[in-house]
Amino acid sequence: MALAALEVMNLSYSYADSASALRQISFSIAHGERVALLGPNGAGKSTLLWCLVGVLRAEGTIAVDGTVLRPGTEADIRAKLGLAFAEPEDQLFMPTVKRDVTFGLLAAGANSADADRVAEQTIRNVGLPAETLDRAAHELSSGERRRAALASILVMNPVVLALDEPTNSLDARGRASLAGILLQLPCAQLIATHDLESARALCTRALVLVNGALVADAPMAAFLEDTNSLQRYGLIASLRTDDGQTRVL
Amino acid sequence: MPQHLGLYVRRESALHGLDPRAKMLAVTGFIVAVLLAPMHPSWPMGALLLLLVCATALARIPARMMCRRMLSLVVVIGMPFLLSRLGGEATRAAGEQFAARSLLVAAAFLVLMASTRAIVLLEVAERPPLISVFGQLGEFILRGADLLAEEVMRTNRAWALRAPTATIRVRLAGLTQASMSLISRAAARSERIGAAMVLRGFQGKLPTATPTPLPWSHLVAGLIFALISLGIAGVGRWR
Amino acid sequence: MVARASGRDALSRARELALAGLMGALGLLLPIGFHALGWGGQVFLPMHLPVVVAGFLVSPAMAVSLGVVVPFLSSVLTGMPPLASPIAPLMALELAAKAGVASLLYRSLRAPMWLALPVAIVADWAVLALAVSLAAGFFAIRAAPFQYAWAAILIGLPGTILQLVAVPAAVLAIERRVPRLRPTKRDETG
Repeated sequence: MALAALEVMNLSYSYADSASALRQISFSIAHGERVALLGPNGAGKSTLLWCLVGVLRAEGTIAVDGTVLRPGTEADIRAKLGLAFAEPEDQLFMPTVKRDVTFGLLAAGANSADADRVAEQTIRNVGLPAETLDRAAHELSSGERRRAALASILVMNPVVLALDEPTNSLDARGRASLAGILLQLPCAQLIATHDLESARALCTRALVLVNGALVADAPMAAFLEDTNSLQRYGLIASLRTDDGQTRVL
Repeated sequence: MPQHLGLYVRRESALHGLDPRAKMLAVTGFIVAVLLAPMHPSWPMGALLLLLVCATALARIPARMMCRRMLSLVVVIGMPFLLSRLGGEATRAAGEQFAARSLLVAAAFLVLMASTRAIVLLEVAERPPLISVFGQLGEFILRGADLLAEEVMRTNRAWALRAPTATIRVRLAGLTQASMSLISRAAARSERIGAAMVLRGFQGKLPTATPTPLPWSHLVAGLIFALISLGIAGVGRWR
Repeated sequence: MVARASGRDALSRARELALAGLMGALGLLLPIGFHALGWGGQVFLPMHLPVVVAGFLVSPAMAVSLGVVVPFLSSVLTGMPPLASPIAPLMALELAAKAGVASLLYRSLRAPMWLALPVAIVADWAVLALAVSLAAGFFAIRAAPFQYAWAAILIGLPGTILQLVAVPAAVLAIERRVPRLRPTKRDETG
């Protein structure tokens, strides 16, 4: 049986000053599979992603491409599992985009020439011109920053790419462009999002998190047809407008 | 480089294109020359000033901009000079020395900073082992200034919209609270940035690119400037 | 080649570098704001505020590095304090001493804030007086060095009072927001 790209077993986590944020979560993602992580605000989606990369120390087992997360293997796990933050600003911490994009390669011991070449190729792959590398992050639009942050992760060729709300603050064209980039990536993807339309376009499977528990793991198309479940889990809501109509958001 | 900070003047000039290491060599030689040059006779200091004016012209820095930048320095350096006028002859002479040398050195740094991006200088500074931590910290501060400047601007706009007719007292209270909140949010943000660094393989020291070799022609240009400066000071001192 | 730090060490160091960077950035930006209001950098010491706050949150080595870097970086980026005059090096020594002593007392020796901050301020004054007396000959300052230092301390008294009020408040607010930064708490995360 082939190794899963990502295997999570009985994952639990509690913040120091609050109740459980994650409760006994188990799932696996195959190589090349794209999975949406859905759930209302406060469900624990971001917490789960932070646990996967070992920044938050959770109970349970996390394995990426066969490597189990434990003290001493964090660096290996982080080389295989890339995480794109909800706020790309936090991932563009160097004065120029080039320094950000080549950071991971240089930290892994690559020489400058190779790092520059890979960085240039990767920045083009995310739809940005090569000149972007010489610019500072504050000179980029929010969509460009998101792509630059993504490039800084993709240079490492992760086995699994986790994205936290990747379509935040993107307009329709930006979302379509990002979706086009993600669809071409060969790595497995776990996309935490509220954006059901993007989830439908990108992902074949849906994991639903509510109050820290995994309440559903279903094929995407079938899951999105089940409006009762969507409403129950807080993924859609009804709004009664002035004209007496009920709209779904 | 921070959006709202910086003395860099964007130009196409020979000085702008010169390798920063060569420029630092030239400035170092110039500073040593300024410290060595005698005050009497005054021609060495005048010659060094002329050399600096030539460098400024070579960098195509507008004279008005240079004068404006020098003005604030004149105020700061002028205070000890004015105080020295109250003393005896020796004190007055020392004050003149201090003012003249400080202004020349300050002007040399202004020309360097006007023709060299600060980030480039910091990248040079992060390689030597003894000072690498300063260079790395400096780079983070530059990027932090970008992030925080944007936040400060947003806070100012929100404040202007929310309280356009606030009294000075209310504004001061608001400024204090906003500053405290900014410091607190910056600290929380540093947690995420730290995580981002580690997720990309940070192991305790920022990875650096292999330095490019210093072109011979640039090195020679920097050396020539330094040697001319030192020559002026030397001739003035030993004549 | 960099020695491979453990996962937890690397994360702590990364967070510390990021925190020092942001506080250093505030050390650049606040003086601009204060100068724009016409309050005067030498009176209210706006650069000192975030650097001293950082001193209570990072290790002594990082605090000293921050104290050294911020004035020089400010000189390079804004021209103030001027690099040519002794102000920038003196300020670097002052800030390095103040932030370093604060960190040593508060984080390493677990001294309470009400002791660490005043001692750090006194250390700043002591280092200033010592540095001025050593630098006096080099920069040909003929005024008596201790008088010079005393004048600087008096002029900066409003800023010192501001630090005594604002620094504890800022540090406590940050420790509430980021409990990991409290000196008594161990880093629980990888």
